[in-house]
Amino acid sequence: MSFETFVTDKTGLQKFYEAIIEKNETYAPVEKFGNFDFKRITRLSECNPESPIEKTRSIKPLFFPRSAKVMKYVATSAGTEIAETDKDPLAGKRVIIGAKHCDARALQVLDKVYSWDYIDTDFRNRRQNTVIVSTRCDKAAIHCFCTSLDYDVETLDAMDVLIVNGIDGKIYIRAKTEKGNAFLKNFPTIHDSQLPENEAAPALKAQYEAFAATFRLQMNYREVNEKLSKVFDSPEFESLSSNCISCNTCAFVCPTCHCFKISDEKVKDTGVRYKSYDSCNNGYFTLMAGGHNPRPAKYRRWRQRALHKFVYYKERFGENLCVGCGKCTFACPVNISIFEVVNQVSDTAM
Amino acid sequence: MDYTKQIREIATKLFTEEKIDVFVGYRTTGFDENQVPVIITGLEEIPKLIFNDKSVFNLTNYLKQEHTRNKRVGLIVKGCDSRSLNLLLTENQVKREKLFVIGIACEGVCDDEGNKMQHCTECMFPDAVVFDEMVGTTHDARLYQVNADVRELASKSLVERREYFETVFESCIRCNACRHSCPLCYCAKCVIDQETSTLYHGANTTSSAFHALMTWSLHLAGRCVDCRNCESACPMNLPLHLLHKQNESVIYENFQEHMAGVVEGDRGAFYKYSMKDPDDFIM
Repeated sequence: MSFETFVTDKTGLQKFYEAIIEKNETYAPVEKFGNFDFKRITRLSECNPESPIEKTRSIKPLFFPRSAKVMKYVATSAGTEIAETDKDPLAGKRVIIGAKHCDARALQVLDKVYSWDYIDTDFRNRRQNTVIVSTRCDKAAIHCFCTSLDYDVETLDAMDVLIVNGIDGKIYIRAKTEKGNAFLKNFPTIHDSQLPENEAAPALKAQYEAFAATFRLQMNYREVNEKLSKVFDSPEFESLSSNCISCNTCAFVCPTCHCFKISDEKVKDTGVRYKSYDSCNNGYFTLMAGGHNPRPAKYRRWRQRALHKFVYYKERFGENLCVGCGKCTFACPVNISIFEVVNQVSDTAM
Repeated sequence: MDYTKQIREIATKLFTEEKIDVFVGYRTTGFDENQVPVIITGLEEIPKLIFNDKSVFNLTNYLKQEHTRNKRVGLIVKGCDSRSLNLLLTENQVKREKLFVIGIACEGVCDDEGNKMQHCTECMFPDAVVFDEMVGTTHDARLYQVNADVRELASKSLVERREYFETVFESCIRCNACRHSCPLCYCAKCVIDQETSTLYHGANTTSSAFHALMTWSLHLAGRCVDCRNCESACPMNLPLHLLHKQNESVIYENFQEHMAGVVEGDRGAFYKYSMKDPDDFIM
């Protein structure tokens, strides 16, 4: 099913963004220390909706925050009293602009795990109340491989509104979901410029083809999935992980990693319990009470990370947990590439 | 600065004479100028090795990793790296007889844009201070310089400085990559990893980031060698060197021009007593 497409130019897009920011609680990539992180903005000049891929952090923290309050408690001599926390600050109606399509896709993948045996109501509410406006990239960065994974970047409907910088210099704004379609109806300024489908489709296709031709990394994900499911005992993991320093950066910037830890902030008898990110690359991640650690060696943790992305999640939910955004590789201090690792390991499979 | 040839020759010699089990060096990523540290185990892998001004990462970090444990290790160290190695030796973390150290007379390494990194322009000890074999032409003695960023920050008012550091701690995501990438952070259980405590907890709040980073920087006061592994690891690009360089300049000024890891066996400013230490704070 296709929705309406509108055509505009650079100033029109700027006006569109300004109208969004004026009417809605808006989040966008804001530069800080040379990095772009998604923050609440009130003016378009604070952000850069077309921030460089390699320096932009994912939109995941807006749905699964880096630290969320779970509860508050007060310990008295009569027992412990548990209080509900304050209202969820991320639950309101809001719009994200400048999201990358791989980030949007990552949320689609995460939906499966968050509505599986237990429905995470916080995550669901945040998802339902958010409109994602995404700009399709013009050029792949050096570690990107989104076109090689099990979703079609061209027809992806993970974002509600897609913005495409056409190769003809025009800018196309297209609704991708019902929510996005209804959202675009609030902006009469772009409405005069509606484009019929037979004109819009070729323009979007041309941009996609130009974009898809810029990828350095390409692989066959089906082959990788199949081969990786047989390499659990591969000695290759040990040599490939030898230069990993277990710094956790990859998991913290990953748009699909969803492991967390629980910790308490205590002041005398009162405390706040937090749910924060954790990483399977941590040596103590699987440490149990009593001292047993099933994954004491680095290669076992690396294997868990690679196989969770490309085998376990696929077996359980039918999709790869990796969306090919390359964020882990950009952030890695020793430049380990997950693409390289999974391909080299799967090459050793029989 | 390109010492690839010399490094390969020395590594070949070490493996042929069976002096080492593993060699820690750098290799190219294969598609750009960046480099990946590599732990090689035999002669056949030597053609991978490379060393030039993009060999940024401090390899002494790998001495605390399991792939080098209880093995005879060949290692490349630049000036700053050799000082952290010196501290690891002094603190009994590695055995000198198990190491073969290739010291580099370093001309400075480059960042992603190809500019010489800031700490290299201010470096006081570009030549390795501990080595078995030296590569490159050694430098003349250099004078101590207070870090340019620290100097600039010192000229600002207290309020401005507080505001600046608030944004730093606010941006921290508590991934602890700074600690893991630091060659001198080797504690089996780190003080900031406690799950339930008043000051240190895993949550990503400004106060917990403040306590974690300040404690970390104070544990490295008088030990930090300014290799900037932490900054290259930080996914949020935080200016972590400000904390360390501030400590360093205070220690240099007050503790007889102490620089970490320069003298073999020197335990560092906070671990020794001297009659010249400042005592004007005592009544």
